[in-house]
Amino acid sequence: MTHVILRDLTRRFGGVTAVDRLNLEIKSGELVAFLGPSGCGKTTTLRMMTGLLLPTSGDVLFDNKSMVTVPTEKRGAVMVFQKHLLFPTMTIGQNVGFGLRMQGVHKREIERRVDEMLELVKLPGFAPRKAHELSGGQQQRVALARALVVHPKVLLLDEPLANLDANLRLEMRELIRSIQRELSITTVFVTHDQEEAVMLADRIALMFDGLLQQYAQPQDFYQRPSSVRVAHFFRNDNLLSGTRRGAEVETPLGTLQIDPSRMQQPDGKVLVTVRPEDVQLVPNPAEGNCVEAKVLLQVYMGTHTQVQLDLAGHTWMVHSPAHFQAQVGQTITVQLPASSIWLLPTS
Amino acid sequence: MRWLSLMEKLRAPLMVLPAVALVVLLFFGGLVVGFSQSLGYFPAIGSFDLTLRYYGDVLTDNTFFESLWQTFRLALLSTVMSSVLAIALALVLRNTFKGSRFFTFMFQLSIPIPHLVAAAGIVLLVSQSGILARGAYALGLIDAPRNFPVMVFDRPGTAIQLTYLWKEVPFIGIVVLAILQGVGPQYEEIARTLGANAWQRFRYVLLPLILPGVLSTSIIVFAYVFASYEIPLLLGVRHPTTLPVLAFQSYQDPDLSLRPQAMAMSIILTLIAIVLLIVYKRLARYAVNS
Repeated sequence: MTHVILRDLTRRFGGVTAVDRLNLEIKSGELVAFLGPSGCGKTTTLRMMTGLLLPTSGDVLFDNKSMVTVPTEKRGAVMVFQKHLLFPTMTIGQNVGFGLRMQGVHKREIERRVDEMLELVKLPGFAPRKAHELSGGQQQRVALARALVVHPKVLLLDEPLANLDANLRLEMRELIRSIQRELSITTVFVTHDQEEAVMLADRIALMFDGLLQQYAQPQDFYQRPSSVRVAHFFRNDNLLSGTRRGAEVETPLGTLQIDPSRMQQPDGKVLVTVRPEDVQLVPNPAEGNCVEAKVLLQVYMGTHTQVQLDLAGHTWMVHSPAHFQAQVGQTITVQLPASSIWLLPTS
Repeated sequence: MRWLSLMEKLRAPLMVLPAVALVVLLFFGGLVVGFSQSLGYFPAIGSFDLTLRYYGDVLTDNTFFESLWQTFRLALLSTVMSSVLAIALALVLRNTFKGSRFFTFMFQLSIPIPHLVAAAGIVLLVSQSGILARGAYALGLIDAPRNFPVMVFDRPGTAIQLTYLWKEVPFIGIVVLAILQGVGPQYEEIARTLGANAWQRFRYVLLPLILPGVLSTSIIVFAYVFASYEIPLLLGVRHPTTLPVLAFQSYQDPDLSLRPQAMAMSIILTLIAIVLLIVYKRLARYAVNS
C-alpha cells in the first residue's frame, strides 16, 4: 500500500501545457479515477507517475519519497495499457510471470504465483496457451494478472476497458474493483467514461485542458459540482441565473429556498442548478420551491421519461417516472427541492 | 461452367509460369549441364564415360578443404557481424532525434551500390596506398604509408569482410528497422514498468520480436557470401582462396580437361551451401521457438 502525492506536476510539449501544476494526494489502497475528455492530460499524468515521461517541473512522491530521479523499472508503478499488449512470443504463463522473471525469482515460485494470479483473474489453466488463442476480454485479464503478480506499489490502468464490448466492460469493472479491494493496491484508473469512473473509483480527479477541475468522491460530482463545466460533464445542464441573499435565491421564477448545507456560494450573483433526476413533477402547486414550466418535448427512455421543460426561458431536462404523460405545450408544476438546489459560480 | 471454373483454378499458376520457367531453365538447365560435366560427360573434349573420378580428385585435394574453411569462415563472420551491427544501428535509428532522417538515409545509401564498386571504395580507403594510410602518415601516426596494417590481400580477408559489412549491414538493418518501427515502444514500456532493465528489455522483449526478420535476412546474406566470388577474387589472397574463386579459376583455365573438376567443385559447393542453409534454418527455427 503506497501513499501517492503529485506536487505541482507540470508537463509541457513545446508551447503546449499538457498538465498544469497538478496537486493531488492518493491515500494508500485508494482507487482514484483520472477522468476527462481526450487530450486533457490524464495519460500524460499517468506516464509521469511511471517515469516513462519526465515532468517539466513538479514532483511525484511515493510514501513521501521523490520518484522523479528513480528510473521506471525501479519505481514499482506498473501500467496496464488500453491495448493488452501481451508479448506475442510468450505463452500466457510466461507473460504473467515476466515481471517475476526480471526480478530473478525462482522458476517454481514463478509458476506458483502465475497459477495463483490466473486463478484470481478467473483464467485457471490458461498458462500454456498463446495470446492469440484468447478473446479480447481474456487478454485484458492476463494483462491485469501480469501487472498484479509483481505486487506493484501503484497500479496504473490507462483506459484498460476501452476496447471491450459493453457486457465485457461491466464484467471487467467488477473484477477490477473486487481485486483492488482484495489486494488493497493503490490504483489509478484513467477513463473518459464518467459512468465507469463513478462505478469504480473511491475518488475522481476530473481534468480539463491539463487543469484539475475537481477532486472528490463520485457523488459530489452529481450533488456538488464545482463549476458549470463540471456539471455539464456529468450531464446536468439545468441552469438558472439568480441572486443569493442568505437562505434564499431570487430568480426569474420567484424566490427559492436553499438548504443550509448547500450554501457554499457567497451572497450575490449565482447560477442555480438541480439535477434532472431531482426535479419533482407535482400534480398541483404546493408549498416549497414550486414553479410552473411548459413541456417542450418528452422522450420515453425505458426506465424513465425524459422531459424537456421551459423554465422562464431556460431549457431544463427532467427525468420523470416512465409512465409520465403530458402534452407538448402543456403547463405543469415542478418542485425544486431545497435539499437538491446547488449554487454555482457565474464564471 | 466447368471450363470457366478450370480457367479460374489455372489462372494463378499460368500467371507465374513464365517466371518459374525462366528460373527452371536457367538454374536447373545449368545445373544439369554442370552435373553431367562433373561426371565426365563432356563431348567438347571427347569424354563420354560417366565417372566419379573428378569428385575423388577434388575431395582428396588439401587446397579444396583449405578453401572450404576460408569460405565458411568468411561467410559466417560476415553474417554474424553484419547481423549484430545491423541490430545495433536499427535500435539507434528507430528513435527520433535531430538529424535522424538524414542518418537513416545515409544508413540505407549503400544498398543500391554494386558490390564491385563497394570493393573499389574499400581498397581506396584501407589499402597501404589508401586514404587512411595517407591520413595516418600525414598525422605522423606512422613513418611511411607502407607501415599501415595490411588489410587488402591479407589472409584473414579484412577488406573482404569490410566490403560485406558495408553492403550487408544496411540490408539486414532495413528489415530490423521496419520491424522495430512496426512494433512501437509500448512493449518495452510495459516491460520497463514490470522492472526489466535495458538489457532484459532487449533480450526478452525485442530480440524475440526481431529474430525471425534477422534470421531470414541473414540466411540470404550467408548464402550470398558463401557463393560469391568477385569480392574474394579482387581483395583476397591467392591461397587459400575461397571455393567459388577456386571453381571459377578452374573453369576459366584454357585447359578444358580441368572443366569437369571445376564442375565437381561447383556441385560440391552447391550441396554444402544447401546443407548449411538447412542446418542454419533448423537452428533459426529452434532459436525462435525457444
